[in-house]
Amino acid sequence: MAVAAPADLAAVLQTGDWAFVLGNWRVLLLGAVVTVVLMATSLTLGFLAGFPAGAVEAYGSGWTKELVSTAGVVLRGTPIVVLIVLFFFGIPVPKLGSVPVVDVRLSAFLAATLALGLRSGAYQSQVFRGAIQSIDEGQLEAARSVGLTHRQAVRHVIFPQAVRRSVPGFQNEFTIVLKDTSVAFAIGLAELLTRAENLYLQPGRDTAIMEVIIVISAVYFVLTFATNRTLDYLGDAFSIPEGSE
Amino acid sequence: MSLLEIEDVDKSYGDEEVLHDVSLAMDQRDVDVIVGPSGSGKSTLLRCVNRLTEVDDGAIYLDGEEIHGMDENDLRRRVGMVFQDFNLFAHRSALGNVTLGLTEVLELSETEAKSRAEEFLGRVGLADQADSYPSQLSGGQKQRVGIARALAMDPDLLLFDEPTSALDPELIGEVLAVMEDLAEGGMTMLCVTHEMGFARSAASTITFLDGGRIVERGPPEQLFETPEKERTRTFLGQLTDLNR
Repeated sequence: MAVAAPADLAAVLQTGDWAFVLGNWRVLLLGAVVTVVLMATSLTLGFLAGFPAGAVEAYGSGWTKELVSTAGVVLRGTPIVVLIVLFFFGIPVPKLGSVPVVDVRLSAFLAATLALGLRSGAYQSQVFRGAIQSIDEGQLEAARSVGLTHRQAVRHVIFPQAVRRSVPGFQNEFTIVLKDTSVAFAIGLAELLTRAENLYLQPGRDTAIMEVIIVISAVYFVLTFATNRTLDYLGDAFSIPEGSE
Repeated sequence: MSLLEIEDVDKSYGDEEVLHDVSLAMDQRDVDVIVGPSGSGKSTLLRCVNRLTEVDDGAIYLDGEEIHGMDENDLRRRVGMVFQDFNLFAHRSALGNVTLGLTEVLELSETEAKSRAEEFLGRVGLADQADSYPSQLSGGQKQRVGIARALAMDPDLLLFDEPTSALDPELIGEVLAVMEDLAEGGMTMLCVTHEMGFARSAASTITFLDGGRIVERGPPEQLFETPEKERTRTFLGQLTDLNR
């Protein structure tokens, strides 16, 4: 790092502490790994819950639809910190011990996955429901008119188009979940933010607060950017060909 | 026995009566053209035949069998439909539009479905556009894919719901040519259309529908030359002028 900064700037940057951040790169890297894994498990759970939930909200009826949409309202209407604390302390998450290498308590990880994942499912369901409802009615009618059952028509004609239209919404959601993994800080899960705090809270290291925070901000930004670009790429790769006549 | 028999069909949407006591019969190879002002119930009548809409009262028979007793998917396999707005599956190529029903409904293998779809795309003159997506096709080409999609299911009867109304004038001819070919080939067709040239040359019967009731029904010469009702004369006269 730039050690030879002008004196006043050096005072602001407190150059010595950049070396401290650099010296602890391994701690932060493991934090980033936990963050990415937590994002992946949460989004997977979110998709597995949100995709069917969106379909039920679009096509279902009766008590199933009521149940699903009520669960969605509750999840979307609760602050994520409250959810995470609730899942960690409020429900009997099995005491699973920890993963030694990355120093992660599995029960905290599980609670964070459930909270982030189910909330994401509630949001993803709305993205997907909106996409389903945006598909022209004529698509379904055309499918039915060649003799496809409603189920076949939805599966082969509506879903493939709706998933494509969901990409921008999912992009949003991926970014939000990635950043919200930091909320697992509240239950002490050793993800990026928690580890960052552990670093600067060491006795005598309170001068490194800004450096550590700036570095993890950069890490969050890089992860967000990479996630978005990946989804852009996937969206393009699976887009429906368009062309001039 | 008639291939299609519509008997005293009534249909209302809320308080609005769309069809009232509509009856007509078609034999195999007949081409029946339905004309009428907008809101006269033409589309609703077509949609009752493949049960995209259910009648309130009356009965419809396909080959002697009452269609409400039939499995609706089986009925729709036997009664193809071509839509005004094409309704091609936007995410599938021209070929994929035709194969979907073949693999999912007729349960053909991918290979069989593909070769059959190619055959039918060829029949509507689009063999070279098999891999194009709907957004890459012109309106006339889209509608011909729509016809191939319906035709490939080997239906007993084809319904056309204003197949040329969404087309630019210069694209109408290619679609009508395909329809005329089909008529000549003996396909039974029930068409809502305002193409009077097609009606004159291809129709076996013209039905004039107004306000949900059949005003007059008969062979084209009769309706064009010696209609019984003054309204028929006025309406057909207007259409013919428009088509000129």
